[in-house]
Amino acid sequence: MPIHEKSLIRPENLKTHEHLMLDGVDVSGHWSTFIESRVVRDYNETLEDEIAALPGGEYIHRCWQCGSCTNSCTVHAINPDFNPRFWIYLIRMGMESELLRDKDIIWQCVSCNKCTYACPRDVVPEGVMKATAHWLELKGHTPKSPSMHFDEVFTEQVVRTGKIEESRTIRRFFARTNQGLFQDWMVEMVKRMLRHLPVGMLARMGLATFVAPRTSNWGPAASAIQEYIDEQHEKRKEALSLAELVEVARKDAA
Amino acid sequence: MTTENTKYKKVAYYPGCALEGTGHAYNRSTKAVGKALGLDLVEVKNWNCCGAMEVKNIDPKIQTYLSSRVMSVAANEMNMDVVMAPCNGCYHNLKKAEYDMANDRESVEVVDRLSKKAGHKTYESGQVETIHALDWIKEAIGEDGLKERVKNSLAGIKVANYYGCMYTRPRHIFPEKDQGPGSESTSSPHFMDDLLAAAGAENVEFPLKTACCGGAHTLSDSDTSTKLVLNILRAAKLAGADVIATECPTCHSGLEMHQIRAEKKFGEKIDIKILYFTQLLGMALGLKALKVGVHENISDSIRYLKEKGFA
Repeated sequence: MPIHEKSLIRPENLKTHEHLMLDGVDVSGHWSTFIESRVVRDYNETLEDEIAALPGGEYIHRCWQCGSCTNSCTVHAINPDFNPRFWIYLIRMGMESELLRDKDIIWQCVSCNKCTYACPRDVVPEGVMKATAHWLELKGHTPKSPSMHFDEVFTEQVVRTGKIEESRTIRRFFARTNQGLFQDWMVEMVKRMLRHLPVGMLARMGLATFVAPRTSNWGPAASAIQEYIDEQHEKRKEALSLAELVEVARKDAA
Repeated sequence: MTTENTKYKKVAYYPGCALEGTGHAYNRSTKAVGKALGLDLVEVKNWNCCGAMEVKNIDPKIQTYLSSRVMSVAANEMNMDVVMAPCNGCYHNLKKAEYDMANDRESVEVVDRLSKKAGHKTYESGQVETIHALDWIKEAIGEDGLKERVKNSLAGIKVANYYGCMYTRPRHIFPEKDQGPGSESTSSPHFMDDLLAAAGAENVEFPLKTACCGGAHTLSDSDTSTKLVLNILRAAKLAGADVIATECPTCHSGLEMHQIRAEKKFGEKIDIKILYFTQLLGMALGLKALKVGVHENISDSIRYLKEKGFA
């Protein structure tokens, strides 16, 4: 029988032998590839509950493993390692160490919602990807992704002023991720725009960088939103037992 | 004329943040088309950001609150019952908020709490109907009405109609779609095709109508976005299109930016023009290219449009 999704098996567990006879049968070579049996002891029994406690992860328990999500996935089409079905499986099985092998790409979900559209069980895999990326960061398995930095810069501006002024968001994002603003392709883009952009438009764009557009009387809304965000943040830390984790680490260090 | 038609003659207009920045050409052309068609746009008073694609990743309920505030202002402070949002992101978020306010008690509680603290009425589901600029023209004017008003046919312009993600997905927030003949389809949308065909354009068979441009990560994961945009540009070119028509400022600027980035980073140059569908419609209605903001696009279509007799 061929091995399906061979890429999901750890390479060290795939065994081929140049010369091997078993009970008089020649099992040498590629056509007789074996998978090493293994025992998994490091289950995280609370993994599924932790993901389900974060926004987007609520419906992970509904998954039937049909694979419609991976099959329809935009990112999977350009990177076969991006595999929502597999990650949902690992989370539900509590196989944290397996999940961590892919920790650096899970944030790359582009939220196109093709998976959500295709899913026959309303798992909302897009939400599960966001919850998982969030979980990885909260647990300290990964640094904040560039996407999370962007979301934060963006949200901070909306909470403060009620509106977004794009050039400000872009500048702050590049500053926070330690990237130069003058990337060659951006310079090229602006150069091309300048060729046909009227003076009035330039003046308006220039003005927006000094005077940020804002919703008037936004103050009360801003403080209500911030209060809610802080409150939710505390709830999530609690759901992931982060305070206990810190406590254990502190005792361990002492 | 049906009642539905009259209903859309005067709508609350929610441009959103992008249409005041990178998507200004979409703002200009939408207003110009509305004026040319005799439709009334009343801008939502003192509006705020809908939450775009970012705020939900910090907290989805905040996004619901932000979008519901816009609908609350339109309903309670302006007495309007239709909000028209040309931006796919705004349109999507208002639809999503409408769905959540009708179906999720927790969302209603959070929105109510925040609205009270912020000092405005809580939005109640059903107070307004949110529509896209495509619904607006399709319902208020229709293909036949458009044909009668065309002064400068788009004949000879080969168009790939690109709808993007947020106009059709996820399905459950668009209950009016997939309702049989006459309604919009979520798997194979056609409203833009219908309108541009009525204006004389030749629509090509374009398989990537609802593909993703990677807009959510346009700056945070630029290589992925460039690859996704390249797929769209290549497919449109192979389908024989000269122009990709867009209906979303994020898709539009994503296509334009990554068209240049693909050239600089991967050395792949694909010459195809990118125009908002409202820009094409405006020119068909006899407006000059400058009136529909062609000069505000990043990509330069001016020479091409001159050749075709539009500039």
